[in-house]
This record gives sequence, C-alpha cells and structure tokens, in this order.
Amino acid sequence: MVLNPQNEELRELTVGREREDGSFEAGAAINQTSLWRDAARRFAHNRAALVAMFAFLLMLAYVVIVPFVVPYDPNAVNFDIAYVNPTWTHPFGTDEFGRDLFLRTALGGRISIGIGFAGTVAIMVVGILYGAISGFVGGWLDNAMMRFLDALYGLPYLPFAIITLAIFGTVNFWTMVIALTIASWFTTARVMRGQIITLKENDYVRAARAVGARWHRVLFRHLLPNTLGVVLVFVFLELPGVVLGEAFLSFLGLGINPPQSSWGSLAQDGYTQYLSHPYIIVIPSVAIAWLILSAFFIADGLRDALDPRTESAA
Amino acid sequence: MSANTGPLLEVKDLQKWFPVRKGLLIERTVDYVKAVDGVSFEIPEGQTLGLVGESGSGKSTTGYCVLQLLKPTGGSVRFMGKELTTMGSGDLREMRREMQIVFQDPYSSLNPRMTVGGIVAEPLAVHGIGTRRSRDARVRDLLETVGFNPDFTNRYPHEFSGGQRQRIGIARALALNPRLIICDEPVSALDVSIQAQILNLLKDLQRDLGLAYLFVAHDLAVVRAMSDHIAVMNKGVLVETGKANDVYTNPREDYTKALLAAVPVPDPRRMRERKRERRKLAHAVAEGL
Repeated sequence: MVLNPQNEELRELTVGREREDGSFEAGAAINQTSLWRDAARRFAHNRAALVAMFAFLLMLAYVVIVPFVVPYDPNAVNFDIAYVNPTWTHPFGTDEFGRDLFLRTALGGRISIGIGFAGTVAIMVVGILYGAISGFVGGWLDNAMMRFLDALYGLPYLPFAIITLAIFGTVNFWTMVIALTIASWFTTARVMRGQIITLKENDYVRAARAVGARWHRVLFRHLLPNTLGVVLVFVFLELPGVVLGEAFLSFLGLGINPPQSSWGSLAQDGYTQYLSHPYIIVIPSVAIAWLILSAFFIADGLRDALDPRTESAA
Repeated sequence: MSANTGPLLEVKDLQKWFPVRKGLLIERTVDYVKAVDGVSFEIPEGQTLGLVGESGSGKSTTGYCVLQLLKPTGGSVRFMGKELTTMGSGDLREMRREMQIVFQDPYSSLNPRMTVGGIVAEPLAVHGIGTRRSRDARVRDLLETVGFNPDFTNRYPHEFSGGQRQRIGIARALALNPRLIICDEPVSALDVSIQAQILNLLKDLQRDLGLAYLFVAHDLAVVRAMSDHIAVMNKGVLVETGKANDVYTNPREDYTKALLAAVPVPDPRRMRERKRERRKLAHAVAEGL
C-alpha cells in the first residue's frame, strides 16, 4: 500500500518514508521511545514518586553506610552514658545500656530491610508461580487451587506467622523470612492469576496459538513478560507489609533475638520509657513509617508509569 | 496446489455450543449457548467468502472453530482435503502454516512487550524456519509487502497507529505463506480513511499470493467490496448464501433484507423510508422465528 499525497503541504504533514521512486510509504513511528524509557519519563514527572524514591534511597544509604563510619561498638554496655538524649556525639541518643542508637537503628534497619527484601522476593516467587499455574491451566485445577487459597485467607495473618515460627522452634533471619512469606503470599498469587486470565484473552495470545506456539512459549513469551509491570508494583507493595510484619512480631518479642536488633525490637526496647525518653521509641517507629510510606509512593508512581496506555502528560 | 480437487476449505454442520454451568463446587451443565449451530460452507482456492451478521451471531466463533482455536462441538472442517477436527496436535501444528488469522483489534492483537520484528518473526521461530539472519531478511520482505517501513523492526507496537498496527498483524499472518486467512473484522476498528487502505492491501495480497479469505464482518459495504460469495449469519445459523452481487441486489430472506435496510444512506428522505421498511422487516423476522 502506498500513500501518494498530492500536494507538497500534505506530504510534509504525513509521517512516513519516501521511496526512491518518489512514492510515499506509510509506517512511520508516531514517537520513538522504548517502553521502559517511556515509563522512566512518566515516573520522573511524578513528583511524589520521585521524592519517595529519594527518601527510600536515603534510608538505604543510611543503613548501609552508617555502621562503617560510626566509631562505636553497637553492643558495648556503658552505664555512664545510659539514656543520653540526642546530641552531636550521639545523634539518636543512647539506650538504657548506653549503646549508640544512631548505629543500632542503622543495624536494625539492615535486618528489617533485609528481611523485607528477602521476604518480598520469596513472596513473588511463590505467588507468581502459584498464580500463573492456576490462571494458565484453568479448569478444575484453577478451581481447586483457588479454594485452597480461600481457606488460607481465612486464617489471620499474624497467628499464621507465629505458628510457623513456633514450628521452626528458633527465630533467626531466615525462619523469619519463611514465616512472613507463608503468611503473606496469597494476595500476589491471586493478583497474578487474575492478570494471567485477563492476558490470556488477548488476541496476541490467540495469534500465537494460531501459528502453533506451544504452551511454554505462550506463558514465557506472551503472558509473563506482560505481568512485569504489575510484579514490579507488587514488589513495592509487599515490601512494607513484610517490614511491618517483622516489626510487629519483634515488638511482641517474637522476633530477632538480642543483642541483634531490628526496628521492631528497638521500638519495643523504648516503649517502657516512652514518657521519660520518648526518642527511643520514636526513632525506630519513624524509620519504619519512612520506609513504608516511601515504598507505597514508589509503588503508586510505578503503577502509573508502567501502564503503556497512560497518557504521557509531558 | 494440493492433489485434491475439492474446495480449499469445506465446513459441514459446524457446531459450537458453550455450556452454561451452575453450582458451587460441583458444576453441572444446565443449558447450552448455541453460538454456532449447523453451519456449512465452502471456500475455493483464491476466493473470498464474506460472512456477515450482527454482533453475537457467531461469525467470529465460526472463524475460531475453523482454525481449531476453539474445539467445535460437532461437525466437520476439511482443509486441503484433511479433516481438522480429529487431527492430532502435531499434525495440526503443521496445518497451521497454511491457515492464519488477522484480528479485529489492532491493539490487543500485538504483544506490547515484543518488537515489530519479533512479532512478525514469531511464526517462523515457532516452526523453526530459517536462521536468525534469514528470518530478519524475511521479516523485512514481509513488512515491505504490507507497506510498512521495514526500518522500524526494533520499535514497539504502541508507537504505531491502528492502521499501521493492522499491517503488522497482516505481515505476521503472511509469514508462513498460508493459503487461507481468516479476516476477523480486520477493518471495523479502524478509521474509515484507513479502512480503504487495508482493504486494498488485502485485495492486492489476494491477487499476488492467491490467498483465500474467510472475511468476517458486520459492515455490508466492506463485505460486498471484498467477497466473491456471501453467507449471512443470524443466531448461529446461516440464513442465506450466494454470490455477492445476488445477495445484495436480490436478498431472499427477510433477515438479509433487514440487514441491508439497516445500512445508512446519505439522504434523510430516503432514510425515513428505509426506517419504515426496516420496522416492517424486523416484525417479519420476529414472526418468522
């Protein structure tokens, strides 16, 4: 098919390519950015998401860098400097044993965020696998898998994690990750199933079947890559949940054992003296809120940015 | 040309019933929606059969059943002399080289995460045809054939307009050199000015490549322009078949007449007349059922 704009003006307006014989060919790109670059641009225009991203990275930098540069021993007990209010030498003050909280909050953050990330990755793997199989295969298997999920949904979140921890008998980084994963992979699985079922109805899946593509090609080339955006959003939606879950368990005393600490256990240390030394509980709480809020805003920004149909309001 | 001398595609008593299920855990079938119920037609090599009918009449379902994208409930689909409905999946894969489909919605028919080149090359990759390099050359050829700038193989579908995307879909359908292409409302999602371009392209391809089309559409003018024969479908059954011009100038069935009377004409006085005519026919169709 060849377009032949008669007058010069129209020819200039038409996007396309001129052939050697002077005829004009349709098929020029409307815009030239790739999908990801497009998304990055939209993300960059979302001020809330940008600020959240900055806050998130700042928090990561704090927990990674501070333990290397602060000269104190995080576990050294020195009652001479117990309950020092925040000063220049101890920016976050010290606790009842005289331990520097600026350092301990950073170390606790490493554990909290570490558990958060490890748990999120585990949740993604389990949830995507379960949801994709359920949605892709469909039929009675889908039905059975979803009813099983419904049954699990009926169990409350924290008791589930607590029971899992009790079964393990010990609480450390990895048992914590496993317990939190077991308690919170359901939503991801369900969302993934929905995604796969919706995507399955697209004509490009039908087209792939029409050329004779086998199931693995349909699943790995056509379905899963198209869930990438949702997965990325869910990483930042699940992360705060896991961090909060860990903090809550630690606050109840079911978390990481002393002298190691996480934000949850630091907050627990502070709650007996919340009237006389409020900074001890306020600081780890703010850290938790900081992380959770920034992750949520990032998730929100990503959701808008990764939808290829979002009008680029640039 | 194949050895058999019969028509390229022969569909007999095709049925597709969708079960209506009820029940919480144990579902039982309480009724069927008869989307396609006893449809028969033939398409000779290099010709076009237009399949018209209003939405929900089972046109697209018929197309999917021909390609075995949906398993027919009953009836026979013979393509190039071979029965498709009972064919094993391996043989069917081979047959898929000979029959392809172009979809209605150029936005959902191309995978947004694949490049134009990847989309058009996929049929070749699935069937293990050629090396990566020879495939690239073939993709450029195909895109050139459908009037799409082959320099844009690394772009993504969302960067193109509906008409351009439809060309990509046509190039993909042509990749395996099929003999039959099911055109499932290929232009109804497009702008009118673009429709003509795509229809001309399809006609040119038919002339150059000897393709047969099953042309599914609800737009009568479009079907008339494209088809040698026309089959009119209503509620899962064919109500009338015949040569394209005969069906238009001399519709036998009331339903066909009603369908034709629904086509708007650019004359208000004539439109009023037709409105009256249409009411009468709608009445007749309703009584006939």
